Parts: sequence; structure tokens; C-alpha cells
Amino acid sequence: MVELGAKASALSRPFARLSPALRARLGILCVALLAVLFPIIHGNDADIDSAANALAFAALALGLNIVVGFAGLLDLGYAAFFAIGAYAYGAFASWQIQPHWSAFWEPFQWLTLVARVHQPTGDLVHFQVSFWLMLPLSAGIAAFFGILFGAPTLRLKGDYLAIVTLGFGEIVPIVARNTPSITNGAMGLNGVVPPQLFGYSFGVKALPYYYVAVALIALLIFTSYRLKDSRVGRAWMAIREDEIAAGAMGVDRVRFKLLAFAIGAAFAGATGTLYVAKLQTATPDMFMFPVSVMILVMIVFGGIGNVWGVVLGAMILQILQSWILEDMSEWLHALGRLIDVGWLQQIQLASSIELIFGVILVTMMLYRRQGLIPATRRTAPLSLEEQAAQIQRGGFRSLQGLGTVDRSQTDTLLAIKGLTVRFGGLVALRSVDLTVPAHGVVAVIGPNGSGKSTLFNVMTGLVSAEAGSINFAGEEIRGLAPHRVLERGIARTFQNLRLFAGLSVLENILVGMHARLKTGAVGALARLPWNRREEREARERALEILALFGNRLLPRADHLAGSLSYANRRRSEIARAIAARPRLLLLDEPTAGMNPAETLELVEQIKSLNQLGLTILLIEHKLDVVANLADKVIVLDHGEKIAEGTAAEVRRDPEVIRAYLGRSAAVA
Amino acid sequence: MLEFRAVDTHYGDLHVLKAVDYRIEAGEIVCLLGGNASGKSTTMKAIMGIVTPSRGEILYEGQSLNGVSVAERVRRGIAPVLEARRLFPRMTVYENLEMGAYTRHHGHEFDEDLQRVFQLFPRVEERLAQLAGTLSGGEQQMVAIGRALMARPKLLCMDEPSMGLSPAYVEQVFDIIQEINRQGVTIFMVEQNANMALQIAHRAYVLQTGQIVLSGPAASLRENPLIREAYLGELRVEEAPAAE
Amino acid sequence: MNYQVLLQQVVNGLSLGAMYSLLALGFTLVYGILELINFAHFNVFMVASFIGMWALQLFGIEGQGRVMTGFALIGVLTFAFAVTMLLSGVLGVLIERIALRPMRNVRGTAAMITTIGVSYILFNIILLTVGADAKNFPNPLPVVRWQVGGVVLEMREFLIWGIALALMIALHLFVSRTRLGKAMRATAQDSEAARMMGVDVDWVIVTAFFLGSALAGAAALIFGLYYNFTNFLIGYKAGLRAFTAAVLGGIGSVTGAMLGGILIGLVESLGGQFIAVRWTDVIIFSILVVVLVFFPSGLMGRATPTKS
Repeated sequence: MVELGAKASALSRPFARLSPALRARLGILCVALLAVLFPIIHGNDADIDSAANALAFAALALGLNIVVGFAGLLDLGYAAFFAIGAYAYGAFASWQIQPHWSAFWEPFQWLTLVARVHQPTGDLVHFQVSFWLMLPLSAGIAAFFGILFGAPTLRLKGDYLAIVTLGFGEIVPIVARNTPSITNGAMGLNGVVPPQLFGYSFGVKALPYYYVAVALIALLIFTSYRLKDSRVGRAWMAIREDEIAAGAMGVDRVRFKLLAFAIGAAFAGATGTLYVAKLQTATPDMFMFPVSVMILVMIVFGGIGNVWGVVLGAMILQILQSWILEDMSEWLHALGRLIDVGWLQQIQLASSIELIFGVILVTMMLYRRQGLIPATRRTAPLSLEEQAAQIQRGGFRSLQGLGTVDRSQTDTLLAIKGLTVRFGGLVALRSVDLTVPAHGVVAVIGPNGSGKSTLFNVMTGLVSAEAGSINFAGEEIRGLAPHRVLERGIARTFQNLRLFAGLSVLENILVGMHARLKTGAVGALARLPWNRREEREARERALEILALFGNRLLPRADHLAGSLSYANRRRSEIARAIAARPRLLLLDEPTAGMNPAETLELVEQIKSLNQLGLTILLIEHKLDVVANLADKVIVLDHGEKIAEGTAAEVRRDPEVIRAYLGRSAAVA
Repeated sequence: MLEFRAVDTHYGDLHVLKAVDYRIEAGEIVCLLGGNASGKSTTMKAIMGIVTPSRGEILYEGQSLNGVSVAERVRRGIAPVLEARRLFPRMTVYENLEMGAYTRHHGHEFDEDLQRVFQLFPRVEERLAQLAGTLSGGEQQMVAIGRALMARPKLLCMDEPSMGLSPAYVEQVFDIIQEINRQGVTIFMVEQNANMALQIAHRAYVLQTGQIVLSGPAASLRENPLIREAYLGELRVEEAPAAE
Repeated sequence: MNYQVLLQQVVNGLSLGAMYSLLALGFTLVYGILELINFAHFNVFMVASFIGMWALQLFGIEGQGRVMTGFALIGVLTFAFAVTMLLSGVLGVLIERIALRPMRNVRGTAAMITTIGVSYILFNIILLTVGADAKNFPNPLPVVRWQVGGVVLEMREFLIWGIALALMIALHLFVSRTRLGKAMRATAQDSEAARMMGVDVDWVIVTAFFLGSALAGAAALIFGLYYNFTNFLIGYKAGLRAFTAAVLGGIGSVTGAMLGGILIGLVESLGGQFIAVRWTDVIIFSILVVVLVFFPSGLMGRATPTKS
């Protein structure tokens, strides 16, 4: 009976037997075939033209998706890069700029980049740089401007970033309008040279542009996917999810944000060149705010962060605009004639496309923020066996996943001297001294608000100190950016948990390894053998680290970190920090929110980490944990160190008893 | 006076309070102890109506608080002293006190309450025109308590009144809490400074990962070895908890 | 440089500035409480200018054809301002209720994207129903001019300054003296604490949207009376200038918005005179970018647009 049912379902879903990877490949093949065959099946030139335009906008949507969807940087002036790419081709392949001929141009003529035009008043230069050369060149120029515009905005919060990008998005068309010598101003460019391929000029027919657009889209989808599933994509998503945690886990935020701006802009630059070659003119109006909004609507509609989603969103909206609304208007006119209603015969739905965009934007935001195809996938529920936690005692059983710890340092690993931090008038830390011996465990205790977390924040570069020094392994690290601190070997967890909630547990761990991996944007695209090996090894190691916690994390490797229980979030944060291969591990209240059994389990695990050679500095409230773990205890109160010693010594210190344990203990 | 009946709360996917029962009688000082992330602040927010229980019921003076607005709770006599003071930093001390009496109308009652606050905290009167953000931590705590008293509360809910205060201030604040209680106000407080809190409290609850693990008269809890180990964290170095 | 031209442009700049100040207040009030940049505000202003136009047309005023004086003028203007401010205030509240309240607890930029959508909808509704051509704005003000040392002062300028000043003083009194005004400030400083004091935060937010949008309504009428035209595009330009003003003054700060508005008005009039009108937008955007990047808290602000 069961077998029959299974067979029936297998018969009804013939693709269910195929592996997901194979199914995905088949799907892509079908889409590609459809794209290639479309003009052959459907020969209408106007429709092919619309399809080519739709593809151009899909390309823009893919570019904006890198910036907004992957890196989480809302860019409201994205059309500026489209404009830059368009005018780049427009300037280098049109009759717009015609300097006088001189010997300087001869090598360029030889390279066929320019032509000599004979004029009675003197010979002129005609720029005719090949479209195929300009395509990557425009991408490069736009990427340069992406970095230029992105650089000043890096420190800004999301909504202000949006405003500044909007400003740049406005300035570019205005500059285009006001510099007619290069752009011919509001009149638009003259005589843009159509692309040629092996002597065949594309002219004004839509078909060749359509195929170029298909190829471009294929390239951009490929690029998007390769980047997304790489060290680069994970760094972007980490920034998107929690910038501070991303920095603390070793992501160079400046660099990766600029990279996102640059790659996003490059997509738009190449698309601009294609678009202007197809239209053979460009006016500033083509790149104004409404265009930026339209691209934003496309990615919101399709699903921010989802590559196929944004392509689909762009295609649907473009097709809506150029086909469906026209047809619907015709039907309404016919209806109007039929029932003799004047205004129905007048209606032009296509002119209300922007209204429809606005309605779509608001509706999606209110009712389906994740878009048509959400970027995050569902995960299968766990089996009962997987859910039942196996309590592990005695620390980590296997430690090979941790790799080796540098045991060369034998004396003091961390020495803090005279550290003072001030927030406005409040002194958070006052001249604190602290040393952590290599391979030791030091605990910092003190009431809430006594400056413990500030101590961690200043060590990891999140807060700047007013005075003092932080010496780590013989090197001054005070004032280093968070990712530099991590690179030197200090990894931390956060009291309030800063996992990347929208990433899977495994991805969280992989972000933790960021500083220990090397693949950059080029490597992510090329996937050379060493990139593949690095990625494979990283994933293996990440799974080994998850496996340290028994079946607590491993079955949930593909679950979103935001869906974990409190204790598992704590474990994941520790796992993420371990993944960075630190020499010094900073744990901020690792057992907060855990029950006694879980606490005991974790204490033993921390102990085994220490036995492996890891130096540990922890903040803790549960004093039994401290007593069990720490070789040395530092007591902070009101930002000052009031005691230091073994747990037993600290306990006898009258100052500590008064500040920390209250007056009854002082009496007792 | 206040009763939690099997209250559950959720924050997103997180299950914070798990079937929690509290019972606070009129005139008592009840103390809630627990580590960070144990659900203490959530308890306070549930009493004030900022967090809605996903299951269970909170009763105040015998009536369910389900669906009762925050303003109505304040009007019925529940006033909060928030964690870390949370004064309005760019408003004057006087305006902060006014905000405490927001749900009530001005008039002679307001002036009476103001006088009562000044009696408890002479310093507050001196600083009336100053912006609250410019006060010292101890002074801010006085204003925060004063602000709550301006609501003429029957039940004062205090979230970590000793946090960030120097020992001298902590003792002063605890003395004042006892004084307020003697004037007939029931007090429910969340504290970290367990020894101090257990000295002035009549009864206490110990919260751990969203569940009550211990409760009873403060005096007996003070002597309870469990609490000394689990929470008060008497540094039992001599007999460090071996991995049993 | 001709100082008379300079002074004349200062006079013009003050009028523009008064308008931008009123408009900037709407950004600042909402931002102060919700930390939300409300793009819908741009086109609430634009819609309000049409409301004002229709309100004046009720009295049979078309273009500059019918000049009024005395109590008739005062009555008509009072009516027009009251209706415009009330209706635009209601529009602001509707936007908050329908589109923004559900977004209240959504993190990130989703709420801001929603305001862009709402702004777009308003913009296109007016474009589709009223049309793209500029409308002659009804103006019943008599043209009264005085020459003072070569500078032309017009009565309408004094009127604009007077109205703007009166509204700003009224707002200041409301925020500093009334119970609801204090609740607004408290909510802006710590909304959870304000809630725990019994403040109905929803009501405070509604009030902020109403006041901000009503002030945009006043600004829209001033715009119409000053420029004698309106069209569907005015919200975008004026809105961005006013937003720049709010940022320049320090977003979240009421005094800052007033000050920033005046400064931007002066920049526009002086920049238009001494540089070129076609570059005005670039100048103003550059100010916006420079202020945000280098002086993020503005002249008066405490809210910081950078991350902590």
C-alpha cells in the first residue's frame, strides 16, 4: 500500500527523482532555450524590441540587487550609473565630440578607435570606439564612479545613505544637462554609432540587441550567483544583517561595501552602453529619479536578494508596461464603445504605469515584503531524534575541527594599561590595567553598568579609548578597526547576541572564517581549483565545528540563525568566534539565558577550548562559573578595577564584597 | 494585588517567559532575582502592557489586565521605574515629573505629590529647572523614582534600581524604597544586587531561563544554599562545583 | 558686486526660506519620533498646493485677475489657510494610518521605501487627474511695493514672513507648553519610557503627522502665492530643498529646521543670482551630501545619521 502510494506520487511528479542540482540545471536550460528561441517563434520586431528593453531593465535590477539585496545598502540613485555607462559609450562612439585632427590621434586611428573626418575647415576626429570594447570599459568607468559616490556614504545609516545616493542620482542628469559640449544637453546625443560584429552593423533592428541583452543577462546572473555563494557574498550579507558583528568577525566593511557599489555600478554601466547603442541617443531624462524608483520597484516586486526573483520582477513589470497595459487599454476602449461611455474610450493605462509602480511598491511592502520569490528558503523540520538534545558532558570530545592553536607565545598575551573610555560626561572605564597570560582563563566580573562590555568593545575596536594602551602579543592594537583586531587573533561573542539572523547557521560559521580565507571577487567568479578547494575545506571545517556541540547545531546547519533557541544562539556565536581561529577568545556572558545543566555543559566546553591552548577572557555573572573556570578574576565597579586575584582572593576582598555582594555579605 | 497565572511570552521565535506564576500581596516588597536574559525585564514589560502574554493571564486587584492599555494601567495605580532610569534627557526635571503624572490631571493633587517627592528627595527640588540628562546617575535615579511616584501608584514596579549606582547611593535608594513601602505602596522589583534586595524584600522569586526555579520568604531564600550557589554566586572556591 | 542686488536676493531668500522652514518641520517632527525619512511629505506639499488652489477658486479667484483688500482679503486667506492645512493634515494622518503604521516595527529601510511608494502614488494621481501643465495659482493679494534704498519690498513678502513666524511660534508653544506637546517630546527622546508613563504613542505619532502635513499645507499656499503657479512637480524640488534644510539644521530639531530652511532659501536665491540657476540643484545636493558626510548632526541636531 505504502509502496503503491509512493510509486503513484513518483509517477505524478517525474522530476521528484532527480537531484535538486540536476533539476536546477534543467530549469536553467529551459529558460535559456526559451530566451534563445523566442524571436524565432515570435517574429514581431516591436515585441522583440520590448523584450530587449525588458532584459536591459532586468540587468539593471540584477545590479541594484547586488547593492541593495546582497549588501543591504539602499541606493536611490542607481540610474546615475546607468547614465554614466550610457554617456560613456555616447561620448566615445558618436558625432558629439569632434576635436581637431592632430598627429596625437594617429595611433588611435590605427587602433580603429577614432576616424579622421575631412572637413573644409580642417579635419576632425570622429570617435568610434567599438561597442564590444566599450561594454567592459563602461562597466569599469561606472564602477569607478560607484566607488567615488560610495566612499563618502560608508559611515551613514541606511536611510541617510539612501538620501545621499538620491542626491548623486540627481546630480548626474543635471550635470549631463548642463554640459552640452559632451552630452548635447537636453537635446540628446547625436548619431551614436551602432555596434558591429564581423562587419555586420546592428543598425536599428531589435533582434541583434535582443541577443546581446540575453547574453548580458546570462553573464550577470552567473556573476550574481557565483558571488552570492562565496566568501564575498557572505561578507556582504553579513554586513546587511549586522554591520557591527560583520566587522567584529573580520569583514573589512569599507572594502566590501565599496566592492558592492562598484560591481552594482558596473552592471549598470554595461547596461547603459547596450541601451544607448540600441536607442542611438541618450537624453538626461532617461536617467532621472523615476528610473531609479522603477528599478527599485522591480527588485522589491521580484524579491530583494533573490537573483531569479529580481529578473522575473523586472521582466513582468516591463512586459506589463509595454504589452499588457496597451492591450487592456484597447479592451477598455472597446468596452467604452460598446456601452457608449466616453471616458472609457479615452483611458490610457500605459500612462498610469508609474501610479501602478507606486501601488505595487506600497502593496508589496505592506503585504509581501519578501517579494514574489523570497531570498531565504524554507528548511525541512527536524525529526524528533534530531530535536532531542543530547547532553554532552566532559567538554568537547573531538577537537580536530578547531585546527591548531599557536602555542609559541608563553608569557603575557594581552596587556592593557591605563585604559580610559569616556562617553560624553560619563566615565565608562577609568585607567584600567589588565593582563591575560597566554593559555590562561581570566574572568571579568562586576555589576551591570560597571564597564565590562565597554572593555570588550574597546578591545575589539567598536569603541574608541581616550587614553591607555592595549598590547596584544607584543603589538599595540588600540584604535585598530574591528576586522584588523580579528585578523590579529582576537574573536568575540556579544552579550546581546549578534548572529546574522537572516543567514543559516553554517553561513554564520563561514563568515567567522572570513579573515582566514582568501577568495576575493575574481576568485569567486573564476572558481579556480584553489578557490574550490578552499571553499570545500572551509565548509568541512565549519561542519566539524558545529559537530563539536553534538546534535545541538549540526542538524540545524541550514536553519536560519534567527530561528534558533536562545541557548543554541549562544552556542552558534561561540562556534562562529572559534571559526575565526583566534588566539584570544572574548566571551561576553556566554551562559546568560542558559539553565544550570546547559551552563555546566558549556563551562566544560570552554575549559576544553582552553586546554587546547586557547586563551580566554570572559565576562560572567554566574560566579560559580567564574570560580570553576578562571585562573584570575578582575572585578570592575563603576569603570574601575577594584580587585584582582584568584576567585578565592577576590571573594575575601572587602571592597568586592561591598560593591558586588551587598552589605549583608559584608556583615556575614 | 498582582497575579500572574501561567503566563507565557514570546519575542519573535524566542519563548521568553514559560508558564510563570507570581503573586504579590498588597503592602509587600517582592523581589525578582535572575541573571541577564532570564526574563526579568520581560516580566516588567508584561505588567506594564508593553509585552502581551501569548498565553495565561495577569490579574491586578482581581481584574484581568488583558487588553487594558498602558495608560489605563498607570491610571489604575501601576507605575514603573525603568531599568537604567530612562529619563527624558532633554526635558527638565520638572517636565520629567510632569510626565510621570501624565495620566492624571494637574491640580492640587499634583502639587501634593510634588511635595511628597521633594520630601523624599530634597535634591530633586534643587534641580527642577535642570535638564535631566545633565544629572548624575544617583540624582537621575531619584528623579526616576520621583517620576513614578507622581502617578500616585499603588504598585511600584522597579527594574534594577541599583544598576550603575555607587554603593553609597545603592544603600540610600534601598532605604527610600523601604520608606515608600511604609507609606503603603506595594513594591515589585527586579534586582541583580541580590543580597541587598533580599534584605529589604518580604518575598522573592528566582527566575531562570524564563521559569521560576525558587520562591519564598526573603529571609529563608537568603539562607537557601541553592540560591547561594545558583544565583547569589557565593564564591564557593573551597568546594568548587565539581563536574558531578 | 552690487549690494542692492545682494539685498534683494536676501529678501527673496528669506521668503523662500520661510517656506522651506515650514516644510522642513514636517520632516523633523516625524523623524524625531519615528526615525523615518518621510518621502510622502514631498507630495503632501504638492497635493496641498492644489487644495489651496481650489480653496481660493471657491471665491471666484482665478489667476491674478481679482485683487482683494481689507477684511475680505483677510477672510479669504484665513479660510484658504485653514482648509488647506486641515485637509493636508488629514492626508498626512491617512498616510500614516494606512501605509506606515503596519511598518512601525519593521526594521531597516522598508518603511522609508513605503513612503517613496506613497509619494509616487500621490504624484501620479495628480498627474493623471489634473494634468502635467502648470496651473495659474489664484492670488488675491494686491501688489504693493516699497522701494527701500533700491531694494524692492513687497507686501506679500511681509505676509509670508508673518504667517510663517506665527506658525512657528505656535508650534514652539505647542511643543513646549501643552501636555500633548510634552508627550511628543518625551516620545521623541525615549518612546518606550513615554509609553510606560501612559502616553498613547499612536496618538502622538498621528499628531506629528497632522502637524507636519498641516505645516506643509501652509508652505504650499505660500509657494502658490509667491510663485503664482503650481504643478505636479513642485513637491519634488521643494521637498528636497526642505529636506536638506532639515538635515542642515539637524534633523529632529525644531529650531534647526527653521534655521536650516532660512539658510537653504538664501543659498537658493543667492546661488541663483551669483552662480547660475541651472546649477542651484547641484549646489543644494552638494550641501546635503557634505553636511551628511562631514557634519552629520547638523547645526542643532542630536540625532546622528552615522552609526554608533
